[in-house]
Amino acid sequence: MVPLVSLGLFAPLLGAALIVIPPRVSGHLAFAVGLVASGLTLLAAVGIGLRGVGSGFSQVEEVSWIPSLGAAYRVGVDGISFPLILLTAVLFLVALIFSIRVTQRPRAYVALFLLLESACLGAFLSLDLVLFYVFFEVNLVAMYFIIAGWGHEGRQRAALTFFLYTLAGSLPLLLAILALYLGAHPRTFDMRVIIAHPPLTGVAASLTLLAFLVGFGIKTPVFPFHTWLPAAHVEASTAGSVVLAGVLLKLGTYGFVRFALQMTPQAFHDAALAIGIVAAFSALYGALVALAQTDLKRMVAYTSVNHMGYVVLGVAAAAAALGGRTRTLAIDGAVLQMVSHGIVTGALFLLVGMLEERAGTREMQAFGGLLRITPVLGWAFILAAFASLGLPGLAHFPAEFQIFLGTFGEWPPVAAVTLIGIVITAGLYLRAIQTVFLGTLPDRWQHMPDLNRRDLWAIVPLLALIVVVGIAPGSLLDLIHRTTSGLLL
Amino acid sequence: MSAMRAIDFGRDLALLAPQITVALTGVVALGAEMLRRPRAALWLTVAGLLVATGLAVPLVGRDTTVFAGTYRIDVLSVWATLILSPATALSAILAVGEVRGTDREGTVYSLLAFTTVGPLALAGAGDLMFLVLGVLISSLGSFALVAYPRDDRATEAAMKYFVFGSVTSAIMIFGLTYWFGATGSTMLGDLHRLAGMRLVAVAGLVAVLVGLGYKAAIVPFHFWAPDAYDGGPVAVAAYLSIVPKVGAIFGLAQVMADLPAQLSVWRIVVALLAVVSMTYGNLAALPQENVVRLLAYSSIAQAGYFLLGVVALGHGTLAVQSLVVFAAAYAAMNLGAFAVVLRTGRDLAGFGGLGRQAPWTGGAMVIFLLSLVGVPPLAGFAGKVLLFGAAMDAGFVWLAIVAIANSVLSLAVYLRVIVPLYGPTQPVRPALRTTVLVWSVALVLTVLLGLGVQALVGQVA
Repeated sequence: MVPLVSLGLFAPLLGAALIVIPPRVSGHLAFAVGLVASGLTLLAAVGIGLRGVGSGFSQVEEVSWIPSLGAAYRVGVDGISFPLILLTAVLFLVALIFSIRVTQRPRAYVALFLLLESACLGAFLSLDLVLFYVFFEVNLVAMYFIIAGWGHEGRQRAALTFFLYTLAGSLPLLLAILALYLGAHPRTFDMRVIIAHPPLTGVAASLTLLAFLVGFGIKTPVFPFHTWLPAAHVEASTAGSVVLAGVLLKLGTYGFVRFALQMTPQAFHDAALAIGIVAAFSALYGALVALAQTDLKRMVAYTSVNHMGYVVLGVAAAAAALGGRTRTLAIDGAVLQMVSHGIVTGALFLLVGMLEERAGTREMQAFGGLLRITPVLGWAFILAAFASLGLPGLAHFPAEFQIFLGTFGEWPPVAAVTLIGIVITAGLYLRAIQTVFLGTLPDRWQHMPDLNRRDLWAIVPLLALIVVVGIAPGSLLDLIHRTTSGLLL
Repeated sequence: MSAMRAIDFGRDLALLAPQITVALTGVVALGAEMLRRPRAALWLTVAGLLVATGLAVPLVGRDTTVFAGTYRIDVLSVWATLILSPATALSAILAVGEVRGTDREGTVYSLLAFTTVGPLALAGAGDLMFLVLGVLISSLGSFALVAYPRDDRATEAAMKYFVFGSVTSAIMIFGLTYWFGATGSTMLGDLHRLAGMRLVAVAGLVAVLVGLGYKAAIVPFHFWAPDAYDGGPVAVAAYLSIVPKVGAIFGLAQVMADLPAQLSVWRIVVALLAVVSMTYGNLAALPQENVVRLLAYSSIAQAGYFLLGVVALGHGTLAVQSLVVFAAAYAAMNLGAFAVVLRTGRDLAGFGGLGRQAPWTGGAMVIFLLSLVGVPPLAGFAGKVLLFGAAMDAGFVWLAIVAIANSVLSLAVYLRVIVPLYGPTQPVRPALRTTVLVWSVALVLTVLLGLGVQALVGQVA
């Protein structure tokens, strides 16, 4: 059998090497290599899907690495990681298509994006704790250089904040990983073994869970660890923001499911209500702060805090429920929400970036009536914004519906309070649409060009996915459900 | 009694061949210098040290003693030879860029080889006398190396180093007499007799910590390090930050492993020293504008991480594995970082835009510094994971947490160098071939040790 998983994982890395190592690679060639490499990864991801993803870890590829410590190169997919693999492959391809006109150090730009893509895929695919940590950290380094190298004026500072914050988060993670390793009998870093027989109990499990919560809470981000996010988004380039919000934040929520929930299930169950309340607060807080923004990009960035809060809430509700429909509803919704948020927020950041390219500003008040002069951009934004506020028939609806249904079954008051978040989000998006695209058109934007071919190539796939996931989430949910229904506890 | 065992000189000398080769290398290099052939001295030094490394390879896996139990051929001493001999050779190659053409150039190479005998003696010490001998040999050579430029700065640095070294060595020798008096033996293997004699045991413990802590530049015995590193040639700073430090830590491990089980207070003491060293080293490194001083304080912090492996001794195999892996990782990444400093100069401002003008040198520096932080999949990560794991395994979870918090702090230190690498550009000196050779070797090792850590761990298990 062809090792599709590893091929997909290393294709971008190979592409990066091809761009960096030979001297004098032109910018065009670099982008061509980048598009081919990430395109191949998307093909591999589709191939993995066609082979069939079972309920447990399937298509596992294993190579011995540090046998004396029980660490190995182990990769594979299940119903939780596979949707995220698809999401990663799509978003990186789209981000590279959008970046095709970057003229500032294009070689390094493409190489870093490809490195980041491999790192993200690796983190989702790893079935070994050490391997996961390796990819998780490489992520950090690559994203740091992407923000610091190609962002706006304050990028150095934002990149530094991002790096310090997330490293501070990943080190507790290391501690938790070591705790799991030392607790397992025989000692191993094999995630399958640890998930099948969670090794820790009592205080040790609670402390390990705490380390996971801090580590992944920063990455997700959950209040109060979110302060790096707006700065990083505002200063990062558009493509940087797309992958940061679309893929990197999912590393945090993926960690909540894969590590916190699956490796310390009992401790998570005991602490579920507290985690759920923090998540609900985080969601509300994100929505309220987003409402206060006048900068479109900052607004979208804060809605990420809101949407990620729903994901964590779903995971917590699933952990609290001891079984049955509530549990699977909430967790299915949480996993689907990760995918929905990836494509919807990816699209929103792209559209804001396109607007900024044309106008040189992101201040909502500077615009008005743009729908008349740039109808394609306008309608695309309206579609993505409606998706983000949870309109039925678009990507967020099936996910949020299930999360709220699941949460309602467990903690009705929490679900009720969190629902306010949806109302606020609806309000802020409608206000944004009204200010930017409706009303009177200021004279200075009379000649704003509409989307060009490159823009369409980048945005149309995402808009199509938003609709497809919204209308027919069934097959994706089936895939997720097959794995989540088999979760322990 | 083991000390009474007959000595089989043939066997013992064969087992000691690597250490003897290192000493002879110093002699031969000195001979070449006397004939006014400094180049020959360099290549003889490098060749001799590589031969010593080669001679140590067949000893991997041996666990025995020579000279009636006074010197141990075990995991620590064999790996000390395998790590420190090549590190010394690379330091000698690095030194070429700074001392070429100076008067008595060859003595530097010769002294480097001589001085390495001390750390090698420490790493295999089975007897208190070897501890004293190791500290003294490595100190004498180091003083001369620091003073080599013979300008005011170097002389002052060497003087401080010398005074500090004399006092700490005197304290160590004085304190060790308590152990000798109490046990009636200078053998480390007889230290178990200290059981029940708490005060005497503590007196000797303090002495060992003072003497070896000074060599390893552990807080509060570190005051000499930033001055000595900055006063002497950069290559000597690289050497001092690696070879004597690793030797001293391994020596400390030899002593601590033999202390009686009732005297477990030493673990707490060493753990506290680790905390103070890490924290102070990182905090003091933070405001430095001179990269050699920054790396000096960083090496004080790294010594703190190193101590985690010592604290965990006696609990499973992780402790010794972590010491060896971290020693190798530390040698590679620190040597590489100093090699890059040799090109840019000591001033932090000299790093501006290096990553753009010299992408390979700049990229290598990023790798070395990230490895010092402990970012995977680099060597420093492998070493630190093992150290943290060993400490947690021994029940020192809090110590691992402090070490992790310090790793975050250290990121701020190293980012101060990384960030300007891709900032506004400064004129940069052309690279010397010898410097490029050193950092290239260090770079390959930093990456390979991280990815292929099994090769090392498997041998030590």
